[in-house]
Amino acid sequence: MSYQEQERALFDLLFDSTVRDNFCKDSTSALYQYELSEEELNDFSVIRPDALVLDAKIRADLLLSHFCRTFPVSFSIVSSLENGFDVLKGLVDVETMRTTIIDRATFFGRRLGESLQHFSFHSADEQAKVSAVLEAELGMAWTSASLKREVMDNGQLHIKPSQIDGDWSTQSIKLAPYVCAAMIPESYEKLKALLCSEVDCDLWRSLSKKSLAASRRKKILEKDEPRLFIARAHISHMSRCEPTIDQKTVELSEGFAPLFQHVNGTVSVDYILDQLKQIGAQDEMLQSIKATFLQLLESEMLEQA
Amino acid sequence: MSNQLEKLPTLGVGASLSLSSKPDPVSLVKAQGGPSFVEYSGLVDVDEVIDEVDKIRAAGAPVLFHPSYINFCGSYPNSNAWLETTAKHIEAVESPWFAQDVAYCFWEEGAAYSTSLGYFIPPPFNQASLQLAVERVKEVQAKISVPVAVEPPPVTFITGSMPLFSFFGSLAKQTDCAILLDMGHLVSYEMASGRSVLDAIDELPCERVVEIHIAGGRLKEGNKETGAGPIYVDAHECTIVDQTWQMLESMLPRLPNVKAVCYECEGVNENTVLTTLERLRKIVREKSSSKLLVACLDVCK
Repeated sequence: MSYQEQERALFDLLFDSTVRDNFCKDSTSALYQYELSEEELNDFSVIRPDALVLDAKIRADLLLSHFCRTFPVSFSIVSSLENGFDVLKGLVDVETMRTTIIDRATFFGRRLGESLQHFSFHSADEQAKVSAVLEAELGMAWTSASLKREVMDNGQLHIKPSQIDGDWSTQSIKLAPYVCAAMIPESYEKLKALLCSEVDCDLWRSLSKKSLAASRRKKILEKDEPRLFIARAHISHMSRCEPTIDQKTVELSEGFAPLFQHVNGTVSVDYILDQLKQIGAQDEMLQSIKATFLQLLESEMLEQA
Repeated sequence: MSNQLEKLPTLGVGASLSLSSKPDPVSLVKAQGGPSFVEYSGLVDVDEVIDEVDKIRAAGAPVLFHPSYINFCGSYPNSNAWLETTAKHIEAVESPWFAQDVAYCFWEEGAAYSTSLGYFIPPPFNQASLQLAVERVKEVQAKISVPVAVEPPPVTFITGSMPLFSFFGSLAKQTDCAILLDMGHLVSYEMASGRSVLDAIDELPCERVVEIHIAGGRLKEGNKETGAGPIYVDAHECTIVDQTWQMLESMLPRLPNVKAVCYECEGVNENTVLTTLERLRKIVREKSSSKLLVACLDVCK
């Protein structure tokens, strides 16, 4: 019997729909699972069930408006699916809310990814494209969380400034820290422009009033202009308390994706170009590929191994 | 009451505004009948807001920092880093006092803004909760150089049977801190509990109330089957409901040391802000027992 047990019960009433539903039916028996004295139990008997339900609803809505900032395109798409809103709301539960604040968005995104298989799509291709978009947004959420954790744990960031040597193309290259990459069906900025009516928290408010039309989703995802999307998390405002993390992004044509798979810290750009030359690639193409790799090094998406 | 509270400056009738959105604080301060001070709920790091704050101060209005990331209750302590950064923030903007709702802003690990829980979670109103609130307030006072003011939070429902003013009266006395009363929050308590806040007015050290808030809200119809009354939802962009105006008129005569009356009006259009400030000044002139506040109406703006 302790105040901590009252706190646990209060938290569950707000974020665990089963506990809340049981409480609304029978406020006393719903809380038997908590080690509360008679007096502590009585503290909960003054709760108005209808007000508790309203509070939980408003709270979930506000939390979703923040998750929506991390997954804007995915949220727009899910809003167009049957039961999409119910799934999103269902994910704001005690499991998500007990996850540490830094990891919460990533955890939410992973669960949203698992939920995608239960939706009905026009085609398997459409489902794959939606998954790819979510993967890209989840990748950014994950690198943001990792970077934030490093800053919070160490008080500063231990990344050596990148230096590109004259013989850079002979050295092995790898992905820089806090970089994620994904193949997406269309330019990410274009997807945002086409699918998201608002930005930041306003998007959730807007979607709640009017969800994305399924026909619009279908039409936009039917187009096939795949891009290799690469994003690097960086600190835009350093803080002891709440560093702000943003993403720098680069998008490349689909053809670059197979080359990118070789970027694993064991091969150099010259080695990749040699292999391409042996299978007949023209000089012009090789120069263009080399320039793209240099651009990725300069933008700190890649680094020398 | 400590001397520190008596010496606080009288700020008049002001407005709580968002630094990054409409209505523009500087334009309002410069307007005829505009706020005589500006309160803002900013980020913990002062360098994120100082440019905007400096513009407001240059326009002639002092500022009050009113954040939403301090746990003034519950078993989860505040982080030293956040408290030290807050202390720097308060010093840099010269906020004469530091007020926030007594509610959970974060849960268990680490500090965070109240958005991490959707919004504030009000504490249970009972003796154990009160003792933890005393601990949390003292934890903040140990790091902050200006007086702390505790504010009853907005509630849609309540837990615990201790009357609101008994809880906050005891908290203020035990920690020697000031009190901020939000009229809408008091209305929300009355609707959630079915009790009048005035039933326990004798428990409230009225002389410690230094600031009053008033803001818009929505009334959600209660469950008709159970005959429950409406539920108050804090919503600053909405109009101020009649019950809130009535609460202001009934509280003002009882509060002799009010230094500031603040209209929380983030997202409200400029004309509405100005007409509401005018109405507030009229009510303060007619009802307030704080002589310094009434005198300030002619001087501050």
